[in-house]
Amino acid sequence: MHRFYLPFFLLLTIVIEGVAYDFLPRSLVAGNWMIIPHWLFVFLIMITIFFDFEDTYYSVLYAIIFGLIVDIVYTNVIGVYMFIYAIVIYFIHGIRKVLHTNVFVALLSCIIGVGLADLGIYIIYYFIGINDVLWNNYIIYRLAPTVIANVLFFLVIYPFIKRKLIRWSSQQFDIKK
Amino acid sequence: MSFFRRKRLFTILIGFIILVGLIGFSLRDRDDLSTFEQFLHDTVGWLQSIVHVPVEFTTSFFSNIDDIRNTYDENQILKSRLNEYKNLIYEVQELRQDNEDLRNILEKTESITDFRPIQSTVIARGPEQWFQQVKINRGKQDGVEANMAVITGKGMIGKVQSASQFSSTVLLLSGFDRTNRISAYVNSEELEDDVPGFIVGYDEESELLELELNEYDTKLKEGELVVSSGLGGVFPKGLEIGTIKEVSPDRYGLTQIAYVQPSADLNRLNHVIVVDRSIAQPDEIDGQSQEGGE
Repeated sequence: MHRFYLPFFLLLTIVIEGVAYDFLPRSLVAGNWMIIPHWLFVFLIMITIFFDFEDTYYSVLYAIIFGLIVDIVYTNVIGVYMFIYAIVIYFIHGIRKVLHTNVFVALLSCIIGVGLADLGIYIIYYFIGINDVLWNNYIIYRLAPTVIANVLFFLVIYPFIKRKLIRWSSQQFDIKK
Repeated sequence: MSFFRRKRLFTILIGFIILVGLIGFSLRDRDDLSTFEQFLHDTVGWLQSIVHVPVEFTTSFFSNIDDIRNTYDENQILKSRLNEYKNLIYEVQELRQDNEDLRNILEKTESITDFRPIQSTVIARGPEQWFQQVKINRGKQDGVEANMAVITGKGMIGKVQSASQFSSTVLLLSGFDRTNRISAYVNSEELEDDVPGFIVGYDEESELLELELNEYDTKLKEGELVVSSGLGGVFPKGLEIGTIKEVSPDRYGLTQIAYVQPSADLNRLNHVIVVDRSIAQPDEIDGQSQEGGE
């Protein structure tokens, strides 16, 4: 049964991303700021750090599957979120081997990961011609607020999710061994 | 070790090729979503409509408190306006009756103004803000088709981008570009004829729509009403789009561009109406390629 918890929660995160816009205060929405909820990605980072072991790649697999769902449901262009999420999660999975797992490492990888992912999405969309936002405008109006907002989300869910993930991880991998 | 590195490089390269393939697949002109995509849209849409209920309850709770504080002042203003409206309603009824009678005499019962409204609720807004999209809880089963206009009580908000069986995606006016223009006209008080033009895009900095006027030398004033003309093929006639904010010559000085303030508030959407134009399309395919393709 515990096998289905993770995919279910990930799907729920995607659903909740769609109503995130309603929670933002009006003054932020009406201005030029763009705050993109990468909540699914924050969740995936926590899975990488607390659920996966060095030789298991569940987080990358989930990044591919649920990145594809985000692509289909929320954008017109299929493949961008899938590719970027998977690559950045893989990168963080690699970093994780070198560092200890504690709250600061998690926070740092959340900041770097969200920044890299959003940057990658910007670059690909820029080349396809979805947006024509200039580099410096992008950093001020989208990258900075997006990273800050997602780090806040990370700090809110961290205490709840961490223990669950560690427990699910030990359950799932004990059974295998 | 080198073997693993090579394998990793290969995986990333193959991933990149798949990415390019998928982007190419989704960017070409597609009329309809594949069954798999529709299934995903509907599944997520179903979950969204469940999640939406408590979320809307909490967010509307706070705005309701705000509203209650202004109730008294608003009530006074509304009372004073009520009498004016009574006269107006009478006048409108007369005119409508008149119009119907005249149409009956001419035996012309269809008009491009007629439409069938499909009531629906916004269940989610796309988090990726470069695609200005919202999702609504009505789909093909309720008669929603791609390219239909979507309005609120105040005015037009966009068009249906793609329809699944039980939910659809709406492209907001703020995401419009040259590929989905709207044929519109300006309802000018001074000039006798309406001034025709096309909504060709959205200026993100000023948050105004760009209306390209067909004639160069028309004089338009601020505050004049912009309405859909119904000539594009899919949208009915007479949907309010917005009011003119300013007029300026375009980059090459050949035409005029009027900047239009949308009447509807695109940031907070809740109940919307999908507009199904009643009159039969003269040439369904032709109309669609004019509206959506190009």
